[in-house]
Amino acid sequence: MTHKGFGSGAIAIGAFAAALMVAAPAARAEDKVIVFAAASLKEALDGVNKACEADVGEAATISYAASSALAKQIEGGAPADIFISADLDWMKYLSDKKLTKPDTEVKLLGNQIVLVAPSDSKVEVKIEKGFDLAKLIGDGRLAMGDVKAVPAGKYGKAALESLGVWSSVEGKVAQAENVRAALKLVSTGEAGLGIVYATDAHAEKGVKVVGTFPEDSHPPIIYPVAQTADSKDKEAPAFLKCLESAKAAELFKAQGFTILAPSN
Amino acid sequence: MTLIVDIGHRLGDFAIDASFESAGRLTALFGPSGSGKSTLINLIAGLIRPEKGRIAVDGRVLVDTAAGAFVPMHRRRIGMVFQDARLFPHLSVAGNLRYGRWFTPASERYADMDGVVDLLGIGHLLDRRPAKLSGGEKQRVAIGRALLASPKLLLMDEPLASLDEARKAEILPYVERLRDETKIPIVYVSHSIAEVARLASDVVVLAQGKVAAAGPTGEIMQRLDLLPAEERGEGGAVLDTTVLRHDESFGMTVLGSPAGEIRVPRLARPAGAPVRLRIRARDVMIATDRPEGLSALNILAGTITAVRPGVGPTVEIAIDCNGATVLARITEQSKHTLRLALGRKVFAVIKTISFDSATTGPGLPIEADG
Amino acid sequence: MNWLLDLTPDEWNAVRLSIKVATVAMLFSLPPGILIALVLARGQFWGKTLLNGLVHLPLILPPVVTGYLLLLTFGKRGPAGAFLAEHFGIIFSFRWTGAALACGVMGFPLMVRAIRLSIEAVDRRMEAAAGTLGANPLWVFATITLPLILPGLIAGSILSFAKAMGEFGATITFVSNIPNETQTLPSAIYTFTQVPGGDDGALRLTLISIVISMAALVASEVLARRVGRRMDIE
Repeated sequence: MTHKGFGSGAIAIGAFAAALMVAAPAARAEDKVIVFAAASLKEALDGVNKACEADVGEAATISYAASSALAKQIEGGAPADIFISADLDWMKYLSDKKLTKPDTEVKLLGNQIVLVAPSDSKVEVKIEKGFDLAKLIGDGRLAMGDVKAVPAGKYGKAALESLGVWSSVEGKVAQAENVRAALKLVSTGEAGLGIVYATDAHAEKGVKVVGTFPEDSHPPIIYPVAQTADSKDKEAPAFLKCLESAKAAELFKAQGFTILAPSN
Repeated sequence: MTLIVDIGHRLGDFAIDASFESAGRLTALFGPSGSGKSTLINLIAGLIRPEKGRIAVDGRVLVDTAAGAFVPMHRRRIGMVFQDARLFPHLSVAGNLRYGRWFTPASERYADMDGVVDLLGIGHLLDRRPAKLSGGEKQRVAIGRALLASPKLLLMDEPLASLDEARKAEILPYVERLRDETKIPIVYVSHSIAEVARLASDVVVLAQGKVAAAGPTGEIMQRLDLLPAEERGEGGAVLDTTVLRHDESFGMTVLGSPAGEIRVPRLARPAGAPVRLRIRARDVMIATDRPEGLSALNILAGTITAVRPGVGPTVEIAIDCNGATVLARITEQSKHTLRLALGRKVFAVIKTISFDSATTGPGLPIEADG
Repeated sequence: MNWLLDLTPDEWNAVRLSIKVATVAMLFSLPPGILIALVLARGQFWGKTLLNGLVHLPLILPPVVTGYLLLLTFGKRGPAGAFLAEHFGIIFSFRWTGAALACGVMGFPLMVRAIRLSIEAVDRRMEAAAGTLGANPLWVFATITLPLILPGLIAGSILSFAKAMGEFGATITFVSNIPNETQTLPSAIYTFTQVPGGDDGALRLTLISIVISMAALVASEVLARRVGRRMDIE
C-alpha cells in the first residue's frame, strides 16, 4: 500500500467510526421512551405498550419494580421518561422534589386489594371488622409487600388496621421486596395467605382470591402517571396520550384495573 | 527375616520383572538409576500395587495377585526412610518421632523413644521444627521416626543420595548401628558401591527392571561385570575380618581373616571388634613368587580360581586365599607375561595405604585417607 | 461515635441476626466445602467438569434466581424442604435458617475455590510418608492434610462469612424480609433506602456492616499468618 493509499484508508475508517459514535448515543437517548412502572402493572402495560407502538412510533422500554424502588432510582438520576406509581405518596415524593412535570400528571388507574391463597387451598373467609385472620394464618405467614415502602404493603396494612386485626397478625407478616414477590410466595405455597392486588390475582394462575378488602378500609388505590422533569424524549407525550386512549383502557380493564382518567 | 519377592509390573514405558529371595540383616537393592530399585521398594512398601506377583516377609503375605490378597500400606508394619526425609512441617521433631508410634498397636510397640533418640543422637533437636534442621539432621530424625513405628521391616530408599560427602560420612555409622544393634531387617536401596559394600549383608543387583544377580555381598562384590562403569573402580572382594591387635608404634591395625593377617592404617576399634574390609581389585597386585624388598605389607598366598576378561586392557583374576577370595585387576599383558592361569599358586599383594575409611567399616573415620 | 451506636432494638437485632446467620452459614459450609474441594482437587471421574460448574452456579446466576431455586427446592412444598421438615424437623421457610442456607449457598463457590487451591498445594509425598507410618487414609487426612490446608480453610471461611454478611438478593427472595427472623443487615439497609428519610439509618447500618467485615478480615489475616509461621513452609 502506498503512503497516499494508507492515508485515505485511515481517514475513511476514522470517519466511519466517528459517525457510529455520534449516531449511537443519539439512537439511545432520543428514540426509546423509557417507562418506570409499578410491578403490578406488568401484564396490562406490556399489552398496552404493544398496542401503542403504532401511535408512538416504536415500543417503549419498561422497567417494573416496586414504586418505592423506582422513585428512589429516579431521584438518583435514572433516565426514565415516564413514571407510573401504585400510590400517590411516591408520586408526591418526586413532585415535591420538582422531579416531575406537574402539568403532565394524571390519575390513571384504580385497583383493589384482595386476600389470596394458593390455588389448592381450602381456606374460606369473610373479610369484615375483627375477622380472625390470625387464626387463618395459623403458624404460617401472611405475604405482603414491605409495609413501610411498597404501596401494596401500605394499603394492606391500612386495611388491616382499619379492620382492627393488624396488631394480631403483625408478627406473622412476611414482607417481600415488591407485590409480585409476595404473589410468588403464595403461588409456590410457601405462604398460606397473602395480600396483593386484584389484578395480580387475576394474572397468576397459582393463586385464588379468598376475599376482597372493602374499599373503605384503605385509602383509595390510585395509579398516577407523569412525565419526569428531565425527560427530553419527543415521543413521551405521545405515549402518555396513548395510555389514556380507549384501546388502552380496554386492555387495563381486561386485567381488572378500573379506569380513573377520562379517555380521549 | 525372609523376604520373598516375585513381581511383574508396568509403569509407563518401564517394565519391572524381579524375582529374588533374601534372608539377610541388610539387603541392598543395587543398580544404576532407572533400573527399577525405587519401584521395587515402593512395591514392597505398598505405595504401588503390582500388576502381578507376590511379596512376602517372614511368611506374611503382603501382596499376592493370584490370590487377590493385598495388604494396604498402612497395615504392613513397615517403616520407610525416603531420600527427601519428608518430615511433617507442622509438627516439631518430637511430634514427628511420635507420629508412627501413635498408630502402632500397643502390643506391638517395641521401639522406645529414649533408646532411638540416643541411637541417633537427636536428643538436642526434639523441640525444633523440621525447617530449622540441616540435611543430615533431617535424615536422622526420619530414621528415628520410622524406627519408632516399631516396624517389622525397615525400608530405606537412597537415604543418603541427597547429602554431601561429609553428611554421608556422618550418617553411615548410624545405619551400621541400626543394622548391628537393632534386630530390624533392612532393605536398602542405593546406586553407590561404597555404601552397599559397607552396609549390606546381601545384595540384589538390578538392571533395566530385571534381577541380574542376588546373593551375599562378598560374592556379588566380586562380580565386577555387574557394576556400572563409573563404579567399577570400587569393585573388589569384601572380607569380614576381626581386629587382632593394634601396632601403636607405626599407627596400624592388624586384622585377622581367613586369608591371613592384613595390615591397615590405625582403626579406632577395639581388639576383637568385627571389621568389614573391602579390597579394591585395582589395588591388588599379583606376584608369582613371594616378593622381598617390597614396601607393601600385605602378602597373601593363594591359588587362582578364576580368570575373566575385564574392560579394555584389563583382566580380573580371582585368588582363593585359604577360603577367602581376593580379586585382582591387572593388565592382559601382565597375565600373559607371568603366564597366569587357573590353578597357579600366586601371592596377592596389597598396600596398607590402599585401605581408607571407605573400605573399612563400621568405624569412625580415620585421619589418613588413602 | 454515639450516633453510630445509637441503634433501635430492631437495628441491633438486624446486626445480631446477620452475625448469627453468617457464622452458621460459614460453619455449615465447611464440611461439604472441604469434601467437594477434595473431590475436585484429587478426583478423576466422569462428570467432574459438571460438578465444578454446578458449584460455581451461585457465582454466575443472578442472586434472585438462586433465591427462587432455593424457594422451589427447600421451601415448604419443595422436595428437599418437605423431606427435611418431616424427618428432621428442619424448617427453612421464613426462618433465619433459610437466610443461613441462602447465604451459605451464595458463598459456597468462594469457599470451595480457596480450599481447593490449598489442597492442590499439599505435597502428596508427605501423605505417602504418613501412610507408611501406619496411618490409614482417613487419619492421614485428619493429621496431615487438614493441618497443611489450614490457611486455605481460613481464607475460604472468611470469604464465605463476608459474602454472607453482604448477601441480599437470594435471601430476600427465599425467606423475604422479616424483622428479627430474616431481616439481616443488607435487608435492613435496603428497607431504609426505600423509605423517605431513611438515609441516615441506612448509612449507620452500612458503616457497622463495614466495621464487622473489616474486623473479620483482619482476624483472618492474623490467624493465617500465625498458622503459616508455625509451619514455616519453605
